[in-house]
Amino acid sequence: MAKKIGVYICSGCGIGDALDIDALAKVATKEYKVPVCQKNAFFCGKEGVEVIKKDIAENEVTYVVIAGCSGRVNYDVFNFGPSVVLERVNLRERVVWTQEPDDEDTQMMAEDYLRITLAKLKNLELPEAYVIENCNKRVMVVGGGLAGMTSAVEVAKAGYEVVLVEKEDSLGGWLKRSYKIAPLNSPYTDPEDTGLEARVKEIEGNSNIKVYTSTTIEKTAGAPGMFDVTLKQGGGTLEEKVGAIILATGAVPYEPSKLGHLGYGASPNVVTQAQFEELAAKGTIARPSDGKAVQKVGFIQCAGSRDQEHLPYCSAACCVESIKQALYVKGQNSEAAVYVFYKDIRSSGQYEHFYKKAQSEGVMFIKADVTGVTDDGGNLTIEANDLLMGSPTMADELDMVVLANGMVPTTAFEDPAYGTEAQEEAACAAADAAPVPAPIIKSNILNLEYRQGPELPSLKYGFPDSHFICFPYETRRTGIYAAGSVRRPMDMSQAVGDATGAALKAVQCIEMTDKGGAVHPRSGDISFPDFQLNRCTQCKRCTEECPFGAINEDEKGNPLPNPTRCRRCGTCMGACPERIISFKNYSVPMLGNMLKSIEVPEEDEEKPRVLIFACENDAIPALDMAGINRLQYSKWVRIIPVRCLGSLNLVWINDAMSKGFDGVLLMGCKHGDDYQCHFMKGSELAGIRLSKVSETLDRLGLESERVYMTEVNVMDYDRIPKIINEFVEKIDKFGPNPMKGF
Amino acid sequence: MTGFNVSSGPLKYDTEFAREIYSLENGHHIKKCMQCGMCEVSCATRKEMDYSPRKMFLLLRTGQREEFFKSNTMWMCSTCLMCKVRCPRGVPIVDVMHDLKCYAISKGYTERAQAAFYQSFWKEIWSRGKQFEGGLMARYYLKRGWKDIRKDAFRMKDMGLTMLKHGRMPLMPPKSVKGLKDVQKLVEVAKAQLQKGADR
Repeated sequence: MAKKIGVYICSGCGIGDALDIDALAKVATKEYKVPVCQKNAFFCGKEGVEVIKKDIAENEVTYVVIAGCSGRVNYDVFNFGPSVVLERVNLRERVVWTQEPDDEDTQMMAEDYLRITLAKLKNLELPEAYVIENCNKRVMVVGGGLAGMTSAVEVAKAGYEVVLVEKEDSLGGWLKRSYKIAPLNSPYTDPEDTGLEARVKEIEGNSNIKVYTSTTIEKTAGAPGMFDVTLKQGGGTLEEKVGAIILATGAVPYEPSKLGHLGYGASPNVVTQAQFEELAAKGTIARPSDGKAVQKVGFIQCAGSRDQEHLPYCSAACCVESIKQALYVKGQNSEAAVYVFYKDIRSSGQYEHFYKKAQSEGVMFIKADVTGVTDDGGNLTIEANDLLMGSPTMADELDMVVLANGMVPTTAFEDPAYGTEAQEEAACAAADAAPVPAPIIKSNILNLEYRQGPELPSLKYGFPDSHFICFPYETRRTGIYAAGSVRRPMDMSQAVGDATGAALKAVQCIEMTDKGGAVHPRSGDISFPDFQLNRCTQCKRCTEECPFGAINEDEKGNPLPNPTRCRRCGTCMGACPERIISFKNYSVPMLGNMLKSIEVPEEDEEKPRVLIFACENDAIPALDMAGINRLQYSKWVRIIPVRCLGSLNLVWINDAMSKGFDGVLLMGCKHGDDYQCHFMKGSELAGIRLSKVSETLDRLGLESERVYMTEVNVMDYDRIPKIINEFVEKIDKFGPNPMKGF
Repeated sequence: MTGFNVSSGPLKYDTEFAREIYSLENGHHIKKCMQCGMCEVSCATRKEMDYSPRKMFLLLRTGQREEFFKSNTMWMCSTCLMCKVRCPRGVPIVDVMHDLKCYAISKGYTERAQAAFYQSFWKEIWSRGKQFEGGLMARYYLKRGWKDIRKDAFRMKDMGLTMLKHGRMPLMPPKSVKGLKDVQKLVEVAKAQLQKGADR
């Protein structure tokens, strides 16, 4: 395809009033010798679009540059098909709406943005999708509990084949161990039957679902669209090929033997919720010590949960479970006394009705800190501090005490036997400056053949890492989606919703992979990183740093990319010291050319220049919103969007400094435990790389504070002027960059 | 979380007393209270109360019998209904307060001025089918005795005189309503119905 550029400068929305459009056009036609350059006051109108379409059809324009509004608007209007490269120069939100109109510096800013885009086109090619042959469209669901069964049914309903793998000899998971479940349907007031038989029947009757029981996974190799899974069944193994995987292995109760301070182990009448469920399933709920039907029962909530010495998190399901079990007791004997000692009742969603029902039935809820459980020959006493009454309190002559002992995800254990909890040394041991390897707990569930480790990278408490706010099901292994209580503590109704969501994600992933497109957050992006392997030095930084473990390694340390695992963030590109990784439409030289195209005035002109690398996911929308709100900020800045700060290659900082920029500001997403980085680790890695940049600056004889990274989220638009102006003021104090003019 | 004068030593929950309260006409609503405190912040007379409605419900649930009878909460309720319309759990707090007052009177806790006033008011209505201010005053002060007459009645003489001057307080009692006996019968039937409901 011949490269023929057409530049279309829109003067609508006040752009024409604030800028000299003719001068701007000269930048394109004279400086960059662009063959086609048109001006119009209303390019997004019907006639305006026709002008561009006509040029594409008759003048064979293949690269369309529209200088006008932000690329985040009118993307449907300016859609010229996949064979045309479209670039948008944001003159409206980023220049006209944030700067003085009719000003020399505003004009310079607009011209620079046009130069940046035209320079970008030099190295930009139309990406071609990486399409695998025979993309496998089956989905494997790991775990046959409520979430797993729901996912399997949902995927099958969407018309895809499912392989359902269950470790136990029959499907059901916790449903098998439950007498009844908290209601999943309106009016949410009475415990429901588990419906296990109907669920299993639905799965067995569905020809699209293949069920393996008493089966575990020995090995998972491959990538989305072509996973090769080795299953272990009995003594033998068998192979299954699938396109995506849903992890629904659930959670197990917190080890009750650690709850001795609440009487567990001291009396047989102190039981866990799971044990109480078994008693209820037997018929009459009777005291384990002597078989007497219970008259007085105490429930202790947060037994282990929300406790720094045990599980610091809320296990989310135990309140609802205890309410359900309290109703069992009340159902057996409406005169029975039931006390629930709680920290906070967290009956989320519709379960408020369930809580109210239990209260109406006479279950007594006591907000208290339990101080001890004592046993006087069969009868139990709970002592506590009643926080609402503000006094010590006790409930005595209890027949039983039930501990709501919370849940631990199956991914948190080091071994198949669920023996000891995993140590998190991997997360903590790494030194500050080195990239932190993802903590991977060898829980023997998926046994991935991935260079970074055999399981999903996990969060603090062993839950698989995922972007909690924006795309919770997407784990850090593309094509593998976590659902249900393995993902985070949740009750059954939430698990059903979760399983349905993960099913959707798995199907989306398969379809995207089939077309060669990326999944969330760069949905549909067909570009992928290309490795110039002949120049590779086997430093392994790309294989280590990829947040998604997309790159495997051969025995010599050469990277083996898996394009279908790739999310297109460019973290590998930023990591590579040899700069051999590039996308067709995003590369180190391309960004280098872009920043070099900016005109940096001589020192005596007293027009400083500050370069901003802004993350496309949050910082760029925030900058656009600042424009929409007409917030004015410094006229010395030039903004270049990046896919993720993780793609920041330090050579750009070097380039910017030697070009004569007075400072570089990096705007990325929040990182840390509660990160908001859309590529999980991108902004964190950028921060780590930046900590090393001070050396580079020292070598150049510059203040290291000239390069600064800040966290911006999409709601921070009102802070944008402050962030930018403060940084520019700081740079002003340092004086101009001594490299200017060299 | 203070303000309760409950005895020192571990508190025990008296389910007997709680059950007695729950058996009142609107008593069972107390069980639904989730202690959010909306009634407390909505209450017009909260400052006059020793326990807010929320705390009162807590006392009842935990079975603090004596504290309940000592408390002035229900007597200070002005039935403005703000708590009832705002309660997220739909507890008809005003109706509960009503029941609590009736319950306290039925248990002989009539020493409060409000109790005497309610009783006098009802007697007056019962005997005439309508209200007569003079009769109400007479009944009220007879109930309260000399101490109150000295303290209260003379303090209110100016208001009484103004009311007399404007004809708002006739000296002679009005005639009873027509068919007073029928009205009384109606009330008896209603009372019997209520009793039946409570027994059930």
